Amino acid sequence: MSNLARLIPRHTVRGQFRSHRKGITSRHDKTSQLCRHSFVLAIFGLVFFAAVSSSAQDWIRTGTGLGVEKVRLAASDFKPSTQDPKNAELLKMFNETLWNDLDNAGIFELVSKSFYPEQVPGQPTELTASQWGSPPPNASMLAFGNLGVSSDKVQVQGWLYDVKSTSNSPQVLGKQYTDSATTDAARTIAHKFADEIIFRLGGGIPGIAESKIFFVSTRSGQKEIWEMDYDGANQHPITHLGTISLSPRVAPDSSRLAFSSATKAGWEILMYSFDLNRQVSFPRFGGMNLSPSWSPDGSKLAWSSSRNGYPNIFVADASGGNLKRLTTGQGPDVSPTWNRKTGAQIAFVSGRTGLPQIYTMEIDGTNVQRLTDQGYAVSPNWSPNGQFLTFSWMRKYGPGEPGSNDLYLMDIASKQWVQLTHDAGRNDFPCWSPDGRHIVFQSHRSGSDQIYSMLADGTNVKQLTFNGNNTQPNWSWK
Amino acid sequence: MAASTDIYSEHGNLEKPLVWSLCLHAGFAGFVILIAIVAGNYRGSGWGGGGGGDAMGAVLVSTVPLPANPVQTQNVLANESKGLSKSQPKVEEQQPEAIPIPDKTAKVKPKPVTSATKRKPEPEPEDTNQVPYGEGGPVSGPYGMFTAGGAKGGFGFTGGGGDFGNRYAWYVKVVQQKVSENWLKYEVDPRISDANRVYLTFDITREGRPSNVQIEQSSGIPSLDISAMRAIQRIDTFGPLPSDYSGNKVSVEFWFDYKR
Repeated sequence: MSNLARLIPRHTVRGQFRSHRKGITSRHDKTSQLCRHSFVLAIFGLVFFAAVSSSAQDWIRTGTGLGVEKVRLAASDFKPSTQDPKNAELLKMFNETLWNDLDNAGIFELVSKSFYPEQVPGQPTELTASQWGSPPPNASMLAFGNLGVSSDKVQVQGWLYDVKSTSNSPQVLGKQYTDSATTDAARTIAHKFADEIIFRLGGGIPGIAESKIFFVSTRSGQKEIWEMDYDGANQHPITHLGTISLSPRVAPDSSRLAFSSATKAGWEILMYSFDLNRQVSFPRFGGMNLSPSWSPDGSKLAWSSSRNGYPNIFVADASGGNLKRLTTGQGPDVSPTWNRKTGAQIAFVSGRTGLPQIYTMEIDGTNVQRLTDQGYAVSPNWSPNGQFLTFSWMRKYGPGEPGSNDLYLMDIASKQWVQLTHDAGRNDFPCWSPDGRHIVFQSHRSGSDQIYSMLADGTNVKQLTFNGNNTQPNWSWK
Repeated sequence: MAASTDIYSEHGNLEKPLVWSLCLHAGFAGFVILIAIVAGNYRGSGWGGGGGGDAMGAVLVSTVPLPANPVQTQNVLANESKGLSKSQPKVEEQQPEAIPIPDKTAKVKPKPVTSATKRKPEPEPEDTNQVPYGEGGPVSGPYGMFTAGGAKGGFGFTGGGGDFGNRYAWYVKVVQQKVSENWLKYEVDPRISDANRVYLTFDITREGRPSNVQIEQSSGIPSLDISAMRAIQRIDTFGPLPSDYSGNKVSVEFWFDYKR
């Protein structure tokens, strides 16, 4: 944004200046005008200097959906529908999870619970829409329902009502779930119900409440691959190799996980199957094999290999057969990422002109184009709608230029970009969520490397991991 | 004596300097007044000119379109789209041409009558939709970097099944949000600062896919028309139509106002 914003005012200022000059020549008293001018300039300069020195950290935050109001959604606590003593525990988990999921979605303005009427409904018959649709709650939508445990089964009924509707069909959604009576099940049901609401009100894009994030953690001593829910819950290790494993990439159908690992033969691509819950075979190629990336249909894998001497981008079938080299030269070419919408382009990092920059090419290696023009740019990740690349960029790099390492978003067609993180340590390895509304990334802002998520406009940053060093997050495709 | 005459003659000589002095004082006073008038006329032109160089604050702020007042656009929306939707049936004067050519019997008369009754219902749902959802006027591009203040769009749901907009207000809002998110204003020719309104029509299928995107009324600026078309085409789905809605599709008219 800033480059464009800078361009526009400069033109206008120049235009004014030109017309002003004409005015001066038509006047008689040039000397007094000059004096006046220099005085004005001096004052202006002083004011400008004062403004700059006092607010060096100013920036303008703008984002998606400007001028379009978010849906005002109220989510009342679900009510118990039975007398079972387990209800309270499950209800607490359910209500918390549902609220957080809706809050994280980024498309709602959640109405604070302090505005709600004293009597919240548990059934549609108990609902008085006018209480919710008018101030103080002034909500457009209301999610409500009930939860009950009976004989080790939990049953949840949930509704979404358009409380501003004047017609006789205000119900948008009605759902019923049954599962075993555990807190894990309650959390899963809450995720499912939240995803239904987000799918309905978010324009047909499935919610991400059931998605997973894979990452590298040093918690067990070595760098192993770990998995967690999208909100940071339920963190557990996947690999126990005892060496160094990096860059986990889950397949689009979540059946397999490709990652690079230091084996006895060197850095190789390894494959883990979630169907079999064990490592499965994948060919060894020799040289350094790093940073795999799945094609959106799951049939191909691209990665960086130095088997021919220099690190270049290679592509092969998901089984490892049919190997093809896409880039030539000394590179180094690393970190490929597929266009997730079309599968027809690959973005990658190349140091062919010195410092690493972001490039794109077709999947046959033709039409190589450079996207970044300066600094040190790494870790590209393609958005699910194919329109944006997010990457880590030090725009000023070199001695005497203490550039910050921040995340950026680039519109590929126009090459315009926005800065997403500001003044918050080193930020790297951004990865899009399946709904294209969130980005997960690694940041050093707390003093150690941890994983954070945020909305794709840079707001609503949430820390997901707290123990050990956690790096290189990868969000599942669904 | 000689001394006294000397004194007198010197005394007489003071008149000339006095006159000079007066003249100079008057002249200086006049000069000051003249300067004041000239400078007074010129006052203020030194500000806001080149003095600040690339002083940015004021101009940058104007590029951030803070949520516009929906009330203002409401009137504009209702007035303009009413006028257009009513003018179109009147414009269709091709039927009078069709009447003289057959030149046979009075069978021709029923045709304009039926077409008139068919067209009347169309403006009516528009009106009912536009009154409650007139506030849906101001929208802008997906990212701050693409927005230029003042641009907006709006729409009306027409046909399909009568009062769709009334019953499923939440779905209408979803459509508005999605289209405005996907309208990339940098696709419009940068030399254009102001343009006529573009009207697009499209259908939303049962599964929520936009189809049959057409320009109903062009703005006269090809790049603006294309950017509006692309905004719709870029969308994969709006989400399935409400499950209790009986129709197979909904028709949407969406307008885009462009102002840089």
